[in-house]
Amino acid sequence: MAWLLPPVSLGHSSCGVCSYLACSTADTHIRVDPYGFEQPENLDSADEAFLSAYPAVLARRAAKWSRLLKARGGVRRSPTVKRYVRKGIPLALRAHVWMALSGAQERMDQNPGYYQRLLQGERDRSIEEAIKTDLNRTFPDNVQFRKTAEPCLQKTLCSVLLAYGHHNRGVGYCQGLNFIAGYLILVTKNEEQSFWLLDALVGRILPDYYGPAMLGLKTDQEVLGELVRAKLPAVAALVEGCGMQWTLLVSRWFICLFVDVLPVETVLRVWDCLFNEGSKILFRVALTLIKQHQEFILEATDISDLCDRFKQITRGSFVTECHTFMQKIFSEPGSLPMTAVTRLRERCRARLLAQG
Amino acid sequence: MAAPARPPRGRHRDQCIHKPGGDLRGRTPWQRLRDTSFGADTVHAGAVAQGTRSPGVAGLSEATSMAGHSSDHGVVMLVGDSGVGKTCLLVRFKDGAFLAGTFISTVGIDFRNKVLDVDGTKVKLQLWDTAGQERFRSVTHAYYRDAHALLLLYDVTSKASFDNIQAWLTEIRESAQPDVVLMLLGNKVDSAQEHAVRREDGEKLAKEYGLPFMETSAKTGLNVDLAFTAIAKELKQRSMKAPSEPHFRLHDYVEREGRGASCCRP
Repeated sequence: MAWLLPPVSLGHSSCGVCSYLACSTADTHIRVDPYGFEQPENLDSADEAFLSAYPAVLARRAAKWSRLLKARGGVRRSPTVKRYVRKGIPLALRAHVWMALSGAQERMDQNPGYYQRLLQGERDRSIEEAIKTDLNRTFPDNVQFRKTAEPCLQKTLCSVLLAYGHHNRGVGYCQGLNFIAGYLILVTKNEEQSFWLLDALVGRILPDYYGPAMLGLKTDQEVLGELVRAKLPAVAALVEGCGMQWTLLVSRWFICLFVDVLPVETVLRVWDCLFNEGSKILFRVALTLIKQHQEFILEATDISDLCDRFKQITRGSFVTECHTFMQKIFSEPGSLPMTAVTRLRERCRARLLAQG
Repeated sequence: MAAPARPPRGRHRDQCIHKPGGDLRGRTPWQRLRDTSFGADTVHAGAVAQGTRSPGVAGLSEATSMAGHSSDHGVVMLVGDSGVGKTCLLVRFKDGAFLAGTFISTVGIDFRNKVLDVDGTKVKLQLWDTAGQERFRSVTHAYYRDAHALLLLYDVTSKASFDNIQAWLTEIRESAQPDVVLMLLGNKVDSAQEHAVRREDGEKLAKEYGLPFMETSAKTGLNVDLAFTAIAKELKQRSMKAPSEPHFRLHDYVEREGRGASCCRP
């Protein structure tokens, strides 16, 4: 259980998460979290308090999960599993549960050797070059992604993205997938599983976010605008009143599925639900962030200030305390039936297509 | 990197623009746009200088005021192929720093704010950083019309990024305000790698389109502040209805101040 371990000091950048304890005596100390991300020298006292309390929560959840798996002999979607997932999947089980709930495991089992064949086939140079441009620019603050790391996750990332680009030619490579695949690799520590999970996300869970027209992405940003208009009209009035488009404020939220927007642990908790409940969860997170900070947003004095405030609301103890945050996303935004989301998506999509 | 192959979408913008007179034939499309919109009597976009804003939203172009943009901001947008160093250039300008290997690829569109002191006047710049990958243009092109200035970058070590400049200019011509301030920058000039694009190539292209041009380095800081200062000066001047100071000429300024830089008039 990674989060049972406190942040540790790393001697040099070549250590992987599995061996980091061995390096704590070296001269140069870098504080990293259990995923290999560098941490600030001085954590916020609120963050420290949370970090010391959260392991107990995780231990309790881990015990419950272990009993559930033992009793059922596996994970299938059910109301109980949904409740369990919302309360968090322990890191050690995360890859297994994501694979099972998203259908990725099934696809992987049905297509033995497929991933390797993708990597052995002829390569599209434009896809390869686009991926290589981003390798050094993916998690430079993570010691496992450094060129000098052993094993170097940059190479793993490159393979997963290459395979995916050739598997789904309609998407190829889209910036943002590097961050998503990067997190999948950090969680699964397995190239092939990361590939199939990426396939589940891009191919089935998210509606056309990454294709050349990015229509699904643009649609969902419009949908968020509609939801804010319905649920938080004052914020919508402010944003629209100053001619702001939602893309400028939230594009990264959707494209990167909150990677590098919210704290790592919070992102992974969001993804737990994303793999089980689908893309609707992204609206819940966005709406919760906006609702919680409604007054703060409404104090914006001009456009620059508004943009800044939308960055600030993704930081601080509200989002670091992921356990409470995840409870809030299911209570704060109120009811959000899938039928309503589907209807809004259809309407916004038609509007975008009409605009050309 | 795939070339941003976009079919030319006609010349309707050229046709719509009010023509103050003079024969525009024989000029490049971009020059024609500049000719038609840089006249002394033209109302310019971007009333950026604080304290010079009159209640009538002085100097705001129609589209900008429709978008409701607060008039005391200059919106500067950075565009160019993926990996040419847009974010690095911005960070160098904003924080004066270059930390190799700490930059992450920009996804969608990102923003930063910076206040510059231009000859005793505070000019607020809102800096919009964009993803270079072609498909993101469908997300970012809506922002072109709100930009008062565009910095178009290529990487001097990447011929492909230079070859794509024409396509970027087409994109800009189709989506940006006709009087947008535009500057061409050849970045990474510090690079020890062989320069695939010679300075003369950049100069030639700039001359062809009538753009101010400089080679820059986000790593060493060469010409970075100058590029943004030049933009801020130009925007400040445009925001004043009746400038009291001598007329600021962007081309002359860049030519005079640029270190190892050059500027090419059409």
